[in-house]
Amino acid sequence: MNAIEVKNLKKSFGSFQAVKGVDIIAQQGEILSLLGPNGAGKSTTISMLSGLIAPSDGDAFIMGYSVTDQPKSAKEKLGVVPQDIALYPDLSARENLLFWGKMYDLRGSDLKQRVDEVLEMIGLTERQKDRVGKFSGGMKRRVNIAAALMHKPDVVIMDEPTVGIDPQSRRHILDNVKELNRQGMTVLYTTHYMEEAAELSDHIAIMDQGKIIAFGTHDELIKMVGEQTRIDLTFNAEVEAIIPAWKEIEGVSGIDASDGKVTALVDDSNQALPRLLEVAAQGGVRILSVDIKEPNLESVFLHLTGRALRD
Amino acid sequence: MKILDLVLKDLRQMLYDKNSALFLVAMPIVFTFFMGYAYRSGESSAADPRIPLAWVEEKSPAEMSNMLYTHLADMDSLVITRMELDDAQNALQRGKVDGILVIPAEFDQKVLENQNPQLTLIADTTTATGQSIYQLLRMPISQLMSSFEIGRMSVESLNDPNEFMPTVNLAWEKWASHNLDSIVRVEQAVGQQEESWYGDNPYNQASPGIIVQFAIIGLVTSGQVLMQERKTRTLQRLMTTTMRPWQIIAGHMLAMFAIVFLQTTLMIIFGQFVLNVNYLRVPLGTFLIAISLGLWVASMGLLIGTLAKSDNQVVLYAMLAMFVFSALGGTWFPLEGAGGAFASIGKLLPASWAMIGLQNILIRGLSLSSLWQPVAILLVYALGFFILAVWRFRKVEM
Ligand SMILES: Nc1ncnc2c1ncn2[C@@H]1O[C@H](COP(=O)(O)OP(=O)(O)OP(=O)(O)O)[C@@H](O)[C@H]1O
Ligand SMILES: [Mg+2]
Repeated sequence: MNAIEVKNLKKSFGSFQAVKGVDIIAQQGEILSLLGPNGAGKSTTISMLSGLIAPSDGDAFIMGYSVTDQPKSAKEKLGVVPQDIALYPDLSARENLLFWGKMYDLRGSDLKQRVDEVLEMIGLTERQKDRVGKFSGGMKRRVNIAAALMHKPDVVIMDEPTVGIDPQSRRHILDNVKELNRQGMTVLYTTHYMEEAAELSDHIAIMDQGKIIAFGTHDELIKMVGEQTRIDLTFNAEVEAIIPAWKEIEGVSGIDASDGKVTALVDDSNQALPRLLEVAAQGGVRILSVDIKEPNLESVFLHLTGRALRD
Repeated sequence: MKILDLVLKDLRQMLYDKNSALFLVAMPIVFTFFMGYAYRSGESSAADPRIPLAWVEEKSPAEMSNMLYTHLADMDSLVITRMELDDAQNALQRGKVDGILVIPAEFDQKVLENQNPQLTLIADTTTATGQSIYQLLRMPISQLMSSFEIGRMSVESLNDPNEFMPTVNLAWEKWASHNLDSIVRVEQAVGQQEESWYGDNPYNQASPGIIVQFAIIGLVTSGQVLMQERKTRTLQRLMTTTMRPWQIIAGHMLAMFAIVFLQTTLMIIFGQFVLNVNYLRVPLGTFLIAISLGLWVASMGLLIGTLAKSDNQVVLYAMLAMFVFSALGGTWFPLEGAGGAFASIGKLLPASWAMIGLQNILIRGLSLSSLWQPVAILLVYALGFFILAVWRFRKVEM
């Protein structure tokens, strides 16, 4: 059984179609990233998965339960981390978690123990008595995530959980996501940061203008573009004479040089770069700078849409 | 169970709000004292409830007319002043006195000669006050006349003219002692209606008025909890849990009801034991009014919490509701005194029915059966506001 199965999901707001027939499958125990620019329809899709808005068409299944026909069972299996921080600012972190635990039918010592566990995980045990309203953005984000984990759901959906926070909190959250995944949770991770999708995901779905435009593992997506690593080099002198020797190197498929600037397209920069430098040294020129451009999801998005992922 | 958790969460938020203690407890108590004081001092500076009567004697005072004068001057419901006829007529014209009693010149003589002494009352008997004077004077005057009659009878039977005054005095005293109670009772029954609309305790108006008014003002804090729930997106999060929408609405409604009911109960206890406002005369009645008032105000709070987009809007709507319902609904002053379109609009509003219910208990001295109508009307209003709030809530949030 798939943890998440989305079938031809559509949503229109009036005449505007925000989600135009989306299909996604997440296997149990994997991290699936939903990557897309602002307004792609990520949050709308997630709202339908979590039962907040009714789909105009299609259906989605959480651990086999239809979100339209068996919403209660589907919701029991699901933890949702909303894009906006949804906590009570005038209650403490602990009070918030206790409350959300109760909303998932946790009681008594089970509840207290789970609050302790979750606080420990997000690293806020010390600050649990403080009002959430006084927390920094990053701390709020962490509590926001914790509240969705109280009932140990099989599936967690996170909608841009790292928006607008400091690098340290972001690191903490990414590590938490990996830890949750190790514990067996299936994670649907929504983001418009390609680095996060690349680091976390088993599979990535790229969404744009209400549609999934690409789906696969990170490597599969990169291969779709078929782009090689580009290495830009600058030298202190003319390098015309060395070009033939560079072209001899295995795995180098193109060399373009003018003045002291060279652009090389290579299959694997780890192997090609030392050889390129070695040949340059033999040719008697000094290297001034090196810039390696690995193909990334950004290039994939650019390749597929002709637009940049980030504005 | 989860509904209860939601209620407790809401109540916790209200109690953490520093304004709550102010709006829910401190201000209503201060205002009750303030209003009670205002009614009372308004009362003392208002016109003397006693009826002013001019006493005109066409000749200088004589023994027998003096007996009547002394008696009338002792009566609680009259203020009697000796005047010349011209001045008295002038005073009557300007409303300084409500009547003139004219004692004829030969009063003593006519009494002794067994002629009709013919007292004259000048008063507008088409008015209630004129009627009252007539009723008030009739009894003592006929008693005085009968005392003279008894005096003459004893003179005749004993054939001793000296027996006249002692017998008259004896009879007069007997009349006075015998009838004092019934005379006094009549006087007070007349006097009380004129006297004040709140009975013998100014807090009979102030305390229930403030209860109704501050139940609505309390929405300033309780309405914010629901508004915050929507604004902070926790409502959305609640809907991703296994809570059903109706449970969410019921929880918020119940929390608001609980806080209004708690506040009302507190104010009733305060009224009963500190201000001697006798809510517990009909305990079940007071309880039913508190419940139905709470349900109406809570459903209105649900609507406010659903409509408002910010703290300021909650305050605005709550204050608007307070002014419309409290002022028009007779919580500041009784609608009977307002009259006209104002009173008839006010009579339609739920606040006035809460007031009518409470004052049936406190002022009118009525029984439980007088409360069914106010309670039923409050409940109908509660249902109306509830339906409106739920309709609005579903439209905006689901
Ligand atoms: N309730 C709504 N009514 C009308 N239009 C809506 C509504 N919700 C979303 N939209 C529109 O649908 C489109 C998709 O919005 P959505 O929030 O799903 O995007 P997103 O991918 O989550 O973007 P972001 O990265 O900014 O969160 C947007 O154009 C948005 O304006
Ligand atoms: Mg979004």
